[in-house]
Amino acid sequence: MAYYSTSQFKNGLKLMLDGNPCSIISNEIRKPGKGQASNKVKLKDLITGKTLEKTFKSGESVEGADVMELDMQYLYNDGSEWNFMDPDTFDQFIINDSNMDDVRGYLVEQDMCVVTLWNDNPISVTPPNHVILEVVDTDPGLKGDSAGTGGKPATMNTGVVVQVPLFIGIGEKVKVDTRTNEYAGRS
Amino acid sequence: MTSLFKLALDQKADVLKKIRQFFDDQSVLEVQTTSLLNVPVTDVYIDSISIQINLDIQLKTQYLHTSPELEMKKLIAQGSGDIYQICQVYRDNEQGSQNFNEFTMLEYYRLNFDSHQLMGDVISLIKVLGIKGEVHKLSYAQAFEQFAQINILNTNFDELKVIAKSHQLSIDFDWIEDLQIFLFTALCEPKLEQLPICFIYDYPAVQSALARVEGQVAHRFELYLSGMEVANGYDELQDAQAYQQIFDRENSKRKQLNKPCFELDIAFLKQLENSLPQCSGVAVGIDRLISQIAKSD
Repeated sequence: MAYYSTSQFKNGLKLMLDGNPCSIISNEIRKPGKGQASNKVKLKDLITGKTLEKTFKSGESVEGADVMELDMQYLYNDGSEWNFMDPDTFDQFIINDSNMDDVRGYLVEQDMCVVTLWNDNPISVTPPNHVILEVVDTDPGLKGDSAGTGGKPATMNTGVVVQVPLFIGIGEKVKVDTRTNEYAGRS
Repeated sequence: MTSLFKLALDQKADVLKKIRQFFDDQSVLEVQTTSLLNVPVTDVYIDSISIQINLDIQLKTQYLHTSPELEMKKLIAQGSGDIYQICQVYRDNEQGSQNFNEFTMLEYYRLNFDSHQLMGDVISLIKVLGIKGEVHKLSYAQAFEQFAQINILNTNFDELKVIAKSHQLSIDFDWIEDLQIFLFTALCEPKLEQLPICFIYDYPAVQSALARVEGQVAHRFELYLSGMEVANGYDELQDAQAYQQIFDRENSKRKQLNKPCFELDIAFLKQLENSLPQCSGVAVGIDRLISQIAKSD
């Protein structure tokens, strides 16, 4: 695997730290008045999702991580495994349900999403920024309330709960922003 | 409507005016020293910008000053008394969002002040300039103890490498002082971000620079505003021999790092033959200070 010097650090570069692949979020050079320069780097651990801060001596080299992000189609899940397909090669990839915590409420069969592979094994999924979900349960709203003052919780067909305007009823399809878990309009 | 550009110009002019007023009130004399030097500083990690002049007469190489320190000490040695200077300084090979090849420096010296008296004076100055918040003072050893659980004054180079390794940090250093500085950046500085005004004082003797050494520590201090290094001060070395030892040591380190070595500033050493009166001096980065005034508002 390639090694990267601190001078090659840039946002999005994938490095191996403590045995896990990490992605650089920010990189700042610090030079004390009387000392050598160092790089203060914020990274996201792609396995745990945690953000970490590391200081590197400027000029230090760090092992790169073999991480690829591929557009894939979500096919189906059987409760314990989630199946994805690379539409170009038709290769299928499986992710364990335990790794789907943050995203399982936003995956709709046939939708395209980004699957991150580390050493050719899928480690995480990023859903599209907006998905269309169906309301399967919510309190009846007030008829005639079209201004959307306030809101109410609604459970979607994928299980996720989203705050929706009062006028939204069961069976309606709504657009949800997957980054903020916010209602983004009627479909 | 006043543009941001005009506001920035007004702010810098206002800060310079207040600094001059502050020193005038205390009868500290404003001076100007040459920024073109025959010999550059020997600081290991501060590089001078060299320029060639007098091409049409007789070519010679000069160096832009990285700080007016030695030139101002020549004045003190000749009896100037308390002095200050506001000037542009120049450094080569600077990088990072807080470092520039040219910046504005305030440098000043107070006779018969020790480092703690000078820290008190710096507090008065930054308060006048509009920096707000509680003042913290931590010795270098206290900072390491409190923020990283390291007994920095009594940990040798090998032991310190083991500690660095346990934090998964680089141990590729030639001298213990470089590893100490790196560990301070990695482990202590993030904690200083929570403190609006913090002095770190009494550095390990190996990091003395041009400060007086007493026992294990050098009477040197740095001022951090919300984690940003803004000032560096010393209870100054007095005799020429002590300066020469430091310059020789810095040159030998430069040599080991394959950096150019320089002749010593003989004029400076000669000026100090009768020794510098006891004084403390500090350099303040004005542009960084102004960025923190804006944040204090």
